[in-house]
Amino acid sequence: MSMTIHPITMHINGKPVGPVPVPEGIMMIDFLHEYLDLTGSRLGCGQGVCRACVVILDKPDGTSEEVRSCITGAHFFEGKKVRTVEGHAQLNEKGEVVALSPIQQKFLEHYSFQCGYCTPGFVNAATVLLEKLKRQPVAKDQLDQAITDGLNDHICRCTGYVRYFEAVKEVALATPGLVKDGK
Amino acid sequence: MTKLRYLGKALRMAAAPLLAATLLAACDSSSSPSAPAAGSTVKPGSADQLALGRYLTKAADCAACHTTATGAPFAGGVELASPFGKFYGSNITPDKQHGIGKWNADQFYKALHDGVTPDRHLYPAMPYTSYRSMTRADSDAIYAYLMQQKPVAVASKEADLKFPYNMRFGMMFWNVPFLKNSLSDASVGQSPAWLRGQYLSNALGHCAECHSPRGVFGQLDLSKPLAGAALGRVAAPNITPAGLAAVGWTATDLQTFFATGIAPQGSAYGEMFPVVHLSTQYLSKDDLNAVTTYLLGDKPLPPEPVKAISADAVELDAGKRLYTAVCAGCHGFQGDGKPHVAVAMKGNSTVRNADPHNLIVAMLDGIEAQKFPGTESLQDMPGFAGQLNDKELAQLSNFLRVTWGGQAADVTPERIKSMRLTTAH
Repeated sequence: MSMTIHPITMHINGKPVGPVPVPEGIMMIDFLHEYLDLTGSRLGCGQGVCRACVVILDKPDGTSEEVRSCITGAHFFEGKKVRTVEGHAQLNEKGEVVALSPIQQKFLEHYSFQCGYCTPGFVNAATVLLEKLKRQPVAKDQLDQAITDGLNDHICRCTGYVRYFEAVKEVALATPGLVKDGK
Repeated sequence: MTKLRYLGKALRMAAAPLLAATLLAACDSSSSPSAPAAGSTVKPGSADQLALGRYLTKAADCAACHTTATGAPFAGGVELASPFGKFYGSNITPDKQHGIGKWNADQFYKALHDGVTPDRHLYPAMPYTSYRSMTRADSDAIYAYLMQQKPVAVASKEADLKFPYNMRFGMMFWNVPFLKNSLSDASVGQSPAWLRGQYLSNALGHCAECHSPRGVFGQLDLSKPLAGAALGRVAAPNITPAGLAAVGWTATDLQTFFATGIAPQGSAYGEMFPVVHLSTQYLSKDDLNAVTTYLLGDKPLPPEPVKAISADAVELDAGKRLYTAVCAGCHGFQGDGKPHVAVAMKGNSTVRNADPHNLIVAMLDGIEAQKFPGTESLQDMPGFAGQLNDKELAQLSNFLRVTWGGQAADVTPERIKSMRLTTAH
């Protein structure tokens, strides 16, 4: 396949990006790493299984979803709004982190990760889940299943699943409006 | 594209008459390393008969309908949806109250042969229309094997059918015109392998139940054996000799497909996945050869090459860009696929199929991660119903069909839209 260059434009972490001329078939994770120096997304399996590479796609209807950047071409995101793991913490004018997102903070408090390679994926997955719970709260007795469903596809080879799970649960229970009483 | 979840999904959507149940042929998961001699005289209750029974139970796909994902083996409960209502696989463990513990071998044979149990008429969701050809010796072997299983005291669930289909006695009238002693053949042959394959495919594997079209009463259309049928969400393709040759199947590839679930023409998905997972992978090499010989005939047609097709360049380019963006990461930029990740698009029989139905279904719904015999597995393919609109999916379909399928770029956005509506799930 001959290399064809197409410019690409999108919003990443709230900022406009592009147009950047990139090869037609470049994968999103390579675009993030090589063109934008956003190296927080991890290339793990490279075949869409481990989900260390997921980014968040913000849809026009206000919903958000995870997309595996290692198997999805950058041009799929043309004109779309994307969040990466670099987009969660609050920064000051100098670009310094002044506050982590609630889920990042709770992952730290729980020592949820060991090697940390899967953490960007888990941060994004947990963020998508919490945003979904904000739109569609679940009953308390359904929360465990909702967290399992939300994180289940992510692989952590240090087996930090329980700590990830507990951190997400704490945030969900401590955030008003995510969990409702009764059924 | 599960396991039993696939099965359930497919069956919930099954648009075929009563026999939707037969989508799920399958058996228990224990392996039979070698096939006992078919038709040999074995002593009742002997180890040889039990081994034969176990093998035949797999070959006849019993477990798929009679074992749920979480239930005890053969205790029934698998839900089978149809336009007439819901059927449930019955308890065929030796439990005397709820299973077949009180049946004798004669009664078991009568159930397979005539669709009549000691208590009632069966609906043809149990494929006795195909099992009718089973030999008495093989029926006895399956019976002996099932009677060795652990009895499970779980009541069989009654079928939930609309009027007038809930009147079981009506089946005796259905049987008069539609219960035939033998099925039609799509291929021609006389060799011992062909004859053995005929028996395995028709009597045990009941291939025709999914792959033959049906008439208005839910009966098999014996004038078009194995010509394909839109039984569930994933259509059963044409597996006549001409149909298989048209999408590139060879005898060797077919045997590989039945044994492993994966061949150069693609992997088993939809309702075919449990068939491979629970049944065909356990067939002996000779029997796989026999099934293949029967399907292709003693003188197989040569596989057809992919035709060169012209299409609108702008539309094709749009489809190519979409392929590059959302497919190439797994299926390869040249459509070669990636071993252990995703099947090739080049030469893929679903892409080559003249009817784009299954191709569209795969793109809309995706395919769940699958574990195949041995250590082979494929990762899940996400569905793109939420990511791509009707026009984009049509462009993508047409790019695939023209580039690697040798088929016309005739998928329209309207076709995609209509299939979305039928797939709301």
